[in-house]
Amino acid sequence: MASRREFLQIGVAALALPISARAGLSPANSAAAGESARAPLYKVIFDERFATSRAFAGEVKRLGAPIYGIKGDITDLWFNDLDARWKKEPIAIAGLTEHGALFCLERLAWDHGMRVVYRADHTYRADGYMEHELSGSEAMLCEAVNLSSSGTDWSNRVASLLTRCPAVRAQASKLTVVTPAAKQPGDPNHLVSWVIAPVGAARKFSRS
Amino acid sequence: MRLPPGVTSADFSDAIKQFEAAIGKEWVFTSDEDVDLYRDSYSPLWHEEDEPIPSAAVAPDGIEQIQAILKIANAYKIPLWTISTGRNLGYGGSAPLLGGSVVLDLKRMNRVLEVNDKNHYALVEPGVSYFDLYRYIHERGLKVWLDPPDPGWGSPVGNCLERGGGYTPMRDHFDAVCGMEVVLANGEVMRTGMGALPGSKTWQQYKYGFGPYVTGMFSQSNFGIVTKMGIWLMPEPEAYLSGTVTVSKHDDLFPLVEIFANLVNSGTLRATTLLTSPLWFSPPNEELDALRYSGSVLGLEDYAKRKNIPYWSVPLPFYGPAKVIAAQWEYAKEKFSSIPGVKFEDGPSYRFPLSADELAKMTDTVPFGIPSLQIFSIMGPHGQGHLGFSPIIPMTGEAVLESQKVFTQVYRDLGSPGGSATTFPIFSFFARAFVNIYLFPIEHDVEKNRKTREIYRRLIKESAARGWGEYRTHTTFMGDISDTYSFNNHALRHFHETIKDAVDPNGILSPGKCGIWPKRMRKVTA
Repeated sequence: MASRREFLQIGVAALALPISARAGLSPANSAAAGESARAPLYKVIFDERFATSRAFAGEVKRLGAPIYGIKGDITDLWFNDLDARWKKEPIAIAGLTEHGALFCLERLAWDHGMRVVYRADHTYRADGYMEHELSGSEAMLCEAVNLSSSGTDWSNRVASLLTRCPAVRAQASKLTVVTPAAKQPGDPNHLVSWVIAPVGAARKFSRS
Repeated sequence: MRLPPGVTSADFSDAIKQFEAAIGKEWVFTSDEDVDLYRDSYSPLWHEEDEPIPSAAVAPDGIEQIQAILKIANAYKIPLWTISTGRNLGYGGSAPLLGGSVVLDLKRMNRVLEVNDKNHYALVEPGVSYFDLYRYIHERGLKVWLDPPDPGWGSPVGNCLERGGGYTPMRDHFDAVCGMEVVLANGEVMRTGMGALPGSKTWQQYKYGFGPYVTGMFSQSNFGIVTKMGIWLMPEPEAYLSGTVTVSKHDDLFPLVEIFANLVNSGTLRATTLLTSPLWFSPPNEELDALRYSGSVLGLEDYAKRKNIPYWSVPLPFYGPAKVIAAQWEYAKEKFSSIPGVKFEDGPSYRFPLSADELAKMTDTVPFGIPSLQIFSIMGPHGQGHLGFSPIIPMTGEAVLESQKVFTQVYRDLGSPGGSATTFPIFSFFARAFVNIYLFPIEHDVEKNRKTREIYRRLIKESAARGWGEYRTHTTFMGDISDTYSFNNHALRHFHETIKDAVDPNGILSPGKCGIWPKRMRKVTA
């Protein structure tokens, strides 16, 4: 897997709607994500402070995945849960949070042989739209095509997307989707959705 | 494959094979994907050619494997950059100063060897994190506190070696170090302080041992690899209370700091606090912005009076027996009462141990010895990073004002007109002097980072010209800052280099760290 920096350097940017027009990224191919082995999610992290993240968590719960609420800070999640869990066995987590939570979790996960295998930066624009910058495997990006038809209901689509994330290493692919978005009161301008999953031969310090 | 400087591809391949044979293939990292994890997330050289990227990393499990690595590195003259847990964000992270170095990652050496809550110390290996040590103490119900930095995911050994600061009365982290075990470049294992006495019963109780005190030579240095460290801990205090002192006029700063210094230097006030001007942190508005920019003292005083905002404030935290700290706060109020118009506000108070309910309600646990990552949740939407310019300045009102004036002017000269507010607050991480922490954002923007480096280097020079030196810095600026400690034609550097050449003749340990280069690289970097 390329590092996230390399991703940004060499990734292919698809900057216009509809992305379904891009060869190889059509919705017809989106079944690929479902066909690949999904990453079993230990917890899906959401930020209780933000309405959009709470809505996302509601949908994740409905889809049957366990959820864990934070208020920006991942200390409790790490100290009382993940530290012991990951020492026992690396297992995937996902989330819709601010950048700081992902920054910490990504680095803590590195030492357990896990990497960010999918990431999307969701940024509210002044014109009432939201820009979703996605990077991940082609299968995930195919799934993400559905975001373009989500209207303002993008967080539910993100929930569906993350819970279907295949347990494969990300490709050097990146694209941008723009959707209508109604910013909820109290929501930050920028959120990030992500999946951190075990990656085969990656460096790790924990041993089962 | 990236190569260490001056090492051929064939030699490096041989060395890697030997590293693998010595410590196991799974603990030698050579793929770009693995090695990139050691890049500095907060590098001010992000995306630039000069960003120092390691060639490989090795992770030994103990002294014998370190000795094997040293033997190979000496044979091939391969530079090793030692890290404990590599969380040194803002100061270089886990990346080397010299690109192509092999990172010597000590994360697997993660044993808490002892925590004693009768004599209040710990003996730990470098891979132990503050969280690990806190967990060890917490699970055993030991009545000692550690003093984490903020954030607290790093290594006590690493932070003490870098002379970091915390928030409780044990805030000066290197001052809390008592005895080390060090592997020298030739593989010899040495213990400092009382540890040099075989069977010593006081390695973690008495710092100095006998003869020259060499423990300090292994902090901010590249003279050896620290594999064990004794750290003094604080007995769990009975109670905590805090109060805030505020004054209304600009010139009140002088008596405010003078009294503050007296309280610090007499031992009445022993924990970290911050001196600040609430005016600088008030929500921005057109009038206040203009006053801040002009620096008009009368205008700012008038604004503060109209808005009922103090000009200066300093919170005072006290830890200890409840009766004692109540008396300390009363004593402090008595002393500060000599300033006309001074006001006092009682802050939170606690009895320890904290209840689960109190803990849950706490917004900041770090001053209570509990490590946290919360700071990452308040870093803004992208949080790409920061670095701090942090000169030590005298604990006087005059120095506070002069430093603000000088640093603001530099910032404006170089094209950032709004920069003065960031010169506050002034921290008291260490006794007897202030640390003026000036934060710069690091972005994934080459031009902005170039500008930051330009301002940073100018600040170093302006600071040194006034007799202020930095206590610690990012690897990018270690040479610049070392250059300023130049008394008598760099006599101190020459002494460091003499030691370096004697204890590490092949120059394999952390070349360039804090401006100390081995002989074979010195000409290139001079």
